[in-house]
Amino acid sequence: MKGNIPLAENLNSPKPEPNNQINITAKKRLGKWGEYKTGFLFASPWIIGLLVFYAIPLFSSIYFSFTSYSILQPGEFIGLENYKNLMNDELFWKSVYNTVYFAVFYVPLGIIFGVALAMMLNMKVKGMAVYRTIFFLPTLVPHVALAVLWMWLLNPGFGLVNGILSTIGIDGPSWLGSETWSKPSLILMSLWGIGQAVVIYLAGLGDIPEDYYDAADVDGANWFQKTLHITLPLLTPVIFFNLVMGIIGAFQQFTLPYTLTQGKGTPANSLTFYVMYLYDNGFKFFKMGYASAMAWVLFVIIMALTAFVFITSKRWVHYQGK
Amino acid sequence: MKQKKKRIGAIALMIVLTLSMILTGCSSKSSSSEKGSKNQTTVTFWHPMTDVTGEAVDAVIKEFEKQNPDIKINAVYTANQGEGQNEKLMTAISGGNPPDVAYFDRFEIGSWAAQGSLEDLTQLAESSGVTKESYYPFAWDEASYQGKLYGIPTTTDSRLVYFNIDHFKEVGLDPENPPKTIAELEAAAEKLTKKKGKRFERIGFIPWFGQGWFYGWGWSFGGEFYNPETNKATANDPKLVEALQWMTDFAKKYNVEDIAGFTDSQGQGAMDPFLTGQLSMKVSGPWEVSAIKKFKPDLKYGVFPIPTPTGEDQTTWSGGWSVVIPKGAENKEAAWKFLKFFGGEEGQKIFSGISRDFSVLDSVNEELGYKEDPILKEFVNILPVSHHRPVMTQGSLYWNELASAVENATRGNGTPEELLTKVNEKVNKELSK
Repeated sequence: MKGNIPLAENLNSPKPEPNNQINITAKKRLGKWGEYKTGFLFASPWIIGLLVFYAIPLFSSIYFSFTSYSILQPGEFIGLENYKNLMNDELFWKSVYNTVYFAVFYVPLGIIFGVALAMMLNMKVKGMAVYRTIFFLPTLVPHVALAVLWMWLLNPGFGLVNGILSTIGIDGPSWLGSETWSKPSLILMSLWGIGQAVVIYLAGLGDIPEDYYDAADVDGANWFQKTLHITLPLLTPVIFFNLVMGIIGAFQQFTLPYTLTQGKGTPANSLTFYVMYLYDNGFKFFKMGYASAMAWVLFVIIMALTAFVFITSKRWVHYQGK
Repeated sequence: MKQKKKRIGAIALMIVLTLSMILTGCSSKSSSSEKGSKNQTTVTFWHPMTDVTGEAVDAVIKEFEKQNPDIKINAVYTANQGEGQNEKLMTAISGGNPPDVAYFDRFEIGSWAAQGSLEDLTQLAESSGVTKESYYPFAWDEASYQGKLYGIPTTTDSRLVYFNIDHFKEVGLDPENPPKTIAELEAAAEKLTKKKGKRFERIGFIPWFGQGWFYGWGWSFGGEFYNPETNKATANDPKLVEALQWMTDFAKKYNVEDIAGFTDSQGQGAMDPFLTGQLSMKVSGPWEVSAIKKFKPDLKYGVFPIPTPTGEDQTTWSGGWSVVIPKGAENKEAAWKFLKFFGGEEGQKIFSGISRDFSVLDSVNEELGYKEDPILKEFVNILPVSHHRPVMTQGSLYWNELASAVENATRGNGTPEELLTKVNEKVNKELSK
């Protein structure tokens, strides 16, 4: 969608044909607006959509976060009351804890497994396209179906996971029914859908010129040294991208735990994630103002983390040709 | 010149396309009201019913349309319309384009009425002679908020403990004389439970399983959840603390994580642990009877009221559905006619007869033979003393908070008293707003 504007501009930008005199003088007369009119016109469905369905709700939610808006009633202006209440809301902090817990484990694990998987899928073996497809397939499964599937896999009585564990003599936990294991279970299922990131890593791997490896071979470097000094450093731009997207995704975790627990965050709120609680407040408890405040707090958190990653990126992201 | 023409053509095409998209987006309203030719009024009705209840509601609509040829009911199935899942209805009302009638969980009438999103039916009911007398009092009260009527009740239920007669005989319990007190219930549960290591081969009873919500236990222990005079929640009522303490002790005794392992392994329908014989007693509603008939007709079972500490004053609680007119509905008058029919004797007879859900009219329950069925009569007979969840602006919040208080208490995250006090503070803070 975002490609629309530059595309439209290109179509309309002065053509490099010098003999098209009339066109150029016409452009001059029309000025800047005439030059962009068609482009904007073409982009207008998108621009209008963005303004009406994103920008306006987005910015009005700033205002709503200072009111007791309930969707059905406009509410009153209550200043910082919503934000103050949030600070004293135990379930809010619990949901923050759950979300941070998930992000802290899921994001690094996602990178480690993703890179490792991509490197394996980058080997020159026959039938690689099939393997790549297999690892990509889970990402095509809708989250709701994924949740139902994993509920069966992790079923403490008849589930495949506990079945395998019991053959090697381990009495598996009740996974989603246990406060200690519910979040690790969720991380496990999320890692299953890592295919999207793997594809990006694969592209990054394909971008590393063979020359470096050839040179390293001449110098007598082993596989480990090549990975550590060539592959990983040159993959950092892609890792950087996936890190930022991973953090954003982890903080917005919703569909999976919501479906798994029918929106209840059971057991004992150990799967109540930030956005789930936000949703409950907005659509179940008639507290859209409060939910808006939560959304903005989340925005600030994600923004701060992203900024932090961007600032540190200068130290660890290596772009080729620099 | 040619180029210019082309451009104009392209722009015209674009405008036409955009407009047609916008128009189709808004057209749902116009097409529905146009459909009814011959001066017919179309009443849009949103409901979440499928299967047997779906058939039942279709039958009600058919009979209504036969009696009122000038009204056409446009029934629209709306998935997930129910307790805490009314997002679609909510946005439709706030967007000013609601259905004329919605099937609505009575439990939420209080909070929705407080938000001003339901039509006040008091006047309509008075002028057409619909009164509280014919309904069960709890059903009428639950459909009213601050003395005004906002919905017409349609169905109800109640909760009792189901027990497996064969299991009772096997361990030497008398099925003719099921537990009456909490102590007896506990003793029976212990006898019936077979546990090997962390795994239950059979479990006697799980207080919070099925319909074992805290509301039921709280009332059975003699507690009160809400004071309508002061509009204050009373979750820290000592009796309620006692009830939660009992549940917590139960959880400790059998190890709550092992119970969770058991309950999480269970399926629904034919795989329900009570039907598969893995659970000997279970709190549930009258719908369980049809499930047993369908999946395990040879199961020998009985029911008894939820035990109380003293063995007396047994009670239960009832929920159920209603039909409401959302604020801003177009065809209020026709909608009211449908409401009146659905909640009236005729509609109730058709609906309850097919769906086998209890009617909110005692006379209909009697006529349909619910009072003669050995199991169902127990459910009907307890209705006069049944409770309903408090009609308040924060019904959903209170429900969720109580459910998580039970979860946290049984899992040892805080004492019952602490947790219930917190619930009380949170809910009262919202109520006072």
